[in-house]
Amino acid sequence: MNANSTHLDLEDLIAEVTGQAVGEHAREHLAGCEQCQLEANRWSLVADGVRDLAAEAAEVPEPARPPRTGRRALAGPWRRAAVIVGSVAASLVLLVAIGIAAGLVHVHLSGPGSGSGSETTLTSVSGCARLQQANGRLERVNGADVVIKTASGQLVTVTTTATTRLDASGALLGDITNGATVTVAGTSSDGRLAADLVIVSTNPPSLAVPGTVTVRGTVADAGAAGFTVVTSAGNRVPVTTSGGTAVSIFRASLSQLQDGGRTMAVGYPGPGGTLSALAVLQPPNWPVGAHAKLSVRNCSSTAINHEIMALAYGG
Amino acid sequence: MNDPHRNSGAAAFADRRDSACDDAELLRRISKGDEDAMAAFYREHGKVVLAQVLLVTGERVLAEEIVQDTMLAVWRGAASFRGESSVRSWVIAIARRQTRDRLRGRALRVVDDAFLADQPSSNPGPEVMALDRAKLAEVKGAIQGLASAHRELLGLVFGSGLSLREAADVLEIPVGTVKSRLSAARTALNRILNEKGQNL
Repeated sequence: MNANSTHLDLEDLIAEVTGQAVGEHAREHLAGCEQCQLEANRWSLVADGVRDLAAEAAEVPEPARPPRTGRRALAGPWRRAAVIVGSVAASLVLLVAIGIAAGLVHVHLSGPGSGSGSETTLTSVSGCARLQQANGRLERVNGADVVIKTASGQLVTVTTTATTRLDASGALLGDITNGATVTVAGTSSDGRLAADLVIVSTNPPSLAVPGTVTVRGTVADAGAAGFTVVTSAGNRVPVTTSGGTAVSIFRASLSQLQDGGRTMAVGYPGPGGTLSALAVLQPPNWPVGAHAKLSVRNCSSTAINHEIMALAYGG
Repeated sequence: MNDPHRNSGAAAFADRRDSACDDAELLRRISKGDEDAMAAFYREHGKVVLAQVLLVTGERVLAEEIVQDTMLAVWRGAASFRGESSVRSWVIAIARRQTRDRLRGRALRVVDDAFLADQPSSNPGPEVMALDRAKLAEVKGAIQGLASAHRELLGLVFGSGLSLREAADVLEIPVGTVKSRLSAARTALNRILNEKGQNL
């Protein structure tokens, strides 16, 4: 109670609003004092505002739903990686939106041995009538052309431009070089971080995923067994890598696409059996046999890119 | 009063008390290199710390980096926790130091508590009445318009659930200053709402 008045003091009011212990005398007073009730209500409104802001601030983007392939959920570090990358997807929408306008890829279709392109290997994309996609494995890269082999054995030739979005994943540990900006997710032990996933990007995503240690910064001391991440605060975190470490490179070059890697191309069909695609992606976590079917809300580049990234990296 | 939020606040407070021992045990395990304990610690405190830091900095990426550095500091310094404060206030104090270090060099808005201090009045003026008329969304917007020192304190007390004493410890100021700053924060909040002419 306030020594200078008969009303509750600030400490009692705050305690009341935050649910902390309030003295019996103060509680009795509050029950019968309209002025103190009004004051408590005002503080409650402030508290609600702060709590709402806190709840909004702490929201971590939900990972995108995995493709409906009937496969079992990924386990262990791969599941963590999938969750992490799922959260990355949402943060990428704006980045992708920038590149998508100019990032067209020309896809040429041809059946094995036919060379005619009469047998389409593309699947339609629900939600946007003209949009189509091709899934498969990277057969080879010929100059600016990327050749994808579908599950049925047909070959899809993808012609890229300098502005095409290319994301590569696979055995790319050698591409983690000093000065690269990375986000690393993994498990910590003995002061070191054993990397499950390394994302190399000039604009690395923000990760805040419970249950996984993540570090973001610049690579130093890159070597065969790992590297050091230097955070923006100057902290140095040693990172160990292994054959199980997945590496994803955003905005990769054609030479970084991995032969045999699961690959997805999405775009619009053009004249003469060609397709102007929007992106070619090699997600880090697609199991063998998965066939991801893209679905978009509408034909806007933002919606398309959001779903592309969610499908490719959402698990 | 029939404020539904009171119950949630009481429940949260009870949860905090129940988890106090668990928190200390988590830190003990973290100090021995237990990764699962670190993950559990992150789940327990990560969102609260992020919300608090974001409330102060207003920059999502920066806030996430600060949380990252805070958790690294916890991983490395768990053994230094001596139980002289709650774990929640301990980790928030770490985050606050990380935030201060990051923001050092930036032009900070200095808040003069004496200037802004408000004495409780039995006759609420128009600024107080503004809060009576305001909707939650308007209050949230006004909170974001407060000076960082005010946002920080409101976050500690209402977001992180610290007692006034704990908030004082984190901020390294007397409890009396915490009270006057709280009052000043609400006065400023009312002023913002009143200036915007927001009413129902």
